[in-house]
Amino acid sequence: MIRRTFQVAMSLGSHRVLPGAPCVLPRLNPTSAFGSSTDSLVSRFCPEKMDMKDYALPNASWCPDMLNLYQEFLEKTKTDGWIKLPSFKSNRDHIQGLKLPFGLAVASDKNDWRICTRCIQEEGQGYEYVIFFHPSEKKSICLFQPGPYLEGAPGFAHGGSLAAMMDEVFSKTAYLAGEGLFTLSLNIRFKNLIPVGSLAVLNVDVEKIEDQKLYISCIAQSRDQQRVYAKCSGVFLQLQLEEESSQ
Amino acid sequence: MDLSLPNPSWSKDMRLLFDQFMKKSEDGSWKHLPSYKNKFSRRIEDIKVFFPDAKLIKEKISQAQLFPRNFEEGLGFEYAMFHNHAEDRTVCIFQGGPYLQGAPGFLHGGAIATMIDSTLGMTALIAGGIVMTANLNINFKRPIPLCSVVVINSQVDKVEGRKLFLSCNIRSVDEQTLYSEATSLFVKLDPEKSLT
Repeated sequence: MIRRTFQVAMSLGSHRVLPGAPCVLPRLNPTSAFGSSTDSLVSRFCPEKMDMKDYALPNASWCPDMLNLYQEFLEKTKTDGWIKLPSFKSNRDHIQGLKLPFGLAVASDKNDWRICTRCIQEEGQGYEYVIFFHPSEKKSICLFQPGPYLEGAPGFAHGGSLAAMMDEVFSKTAYLAGEGLFTLSLNIRFKNLIPVGSLAVLNVDVEKIEDQKLYISCIAQSRDQQRVYAKCSGVFLQLQLEEESSQ
Repeated sequence: MDLSLPNPSWSKDMRLLFDQFMKKSEDGSWKHLPSYKNKFSRRIEDIKVFFPDAKLIKEKISQAQLFPRNFEEGLGFEYAMFHNHAEDRTVCIFQGGPYLQGAPGFLHGGAIATMIDSTLGMTALIAGGIVMTANLNINFKRPIPLCSVVVINSQVDKVEGRKLFLSCNIRSVDEQTLYSEATSLFVKLDPEKSLT
């Protein structure tokens, strides 16, 4: 079932044609660009009142570089149009009231599921990060501090953990910039290792949106930009989430 | 403690596959690769060459915790790798747990990338010694349901001096579904140059 519905989504993405069968895709309108504007996506994503814990807030494990840069960007949220994104334990918390389309939504969702980058909850041990998003420029900055549980080579972050961080920032940026939902491809060039406990700054830009695909790129580097850790480009599939029907 | 052995969190599919590969290992063509949280304790001498601050390294090595092994049973990455020396390829059976969520109900792209990196890395390590990931190019074809079991088949495509080109694919247990494909470049580290 999942395979077939995903294939339907993929073929619709490339051909922009509604199937002849009874309409099961109410929102896919080939003539208009994807329905929700970035502003409406952002306002739904960043509710005024949040009952869930926001993990993207400073804690005792954050290194001075991370704290400083965080303060800098917090200032920019007041003046330069940046928005600090909340970060919850599960992606389900991020899309409250919405669900995956085309029958991809899983009916039973156990409460202990966690988003990959919030898998380790002990402060400072895993992913410490915060994402700032700029709606009109469709770009993001992520401050990322990998903890000792993310080690690969001794003292340095595992390449996979950086890949996961980049995919996660891509995922949130692609969603808010244009309802990008699933990663289609990732191309990562690793340049230097990130020492555990140090700050890596990820600059993410949406390059273009075309044919229901969102093209996005990232440079991960040290704060002073003297050291490039990795460069990455990704492609995301645009898919609209559906409203969860009232139960 | 070898973490690439069955534990209570392994699903039936995972155990079945493990047993199948253990059977194949009986004639020596395949070999089960043990996996420890603290994997570098066995290669301290190698590591010292690349990390000049030897004192710091001893400390770090004793605390080293390999990322995919830092989870409670069943919650993160459950995996076991088998290597076929004659064909220069590695198979990894992988069960992604509930703490690796991406889109609700599915595995995070980054978790998939981590396993691809780990599996290709192991294949490259066996083929070429101490290596570092240079490039990783992944195509995601179908989303992988959370808590399901997949098989990662990786192989060395070619070796050019210090460069190793490897590729892999991720399939369902019955091989009917292709979830992802990846190509990569790993580089053998140069003992003359430090990494920091």
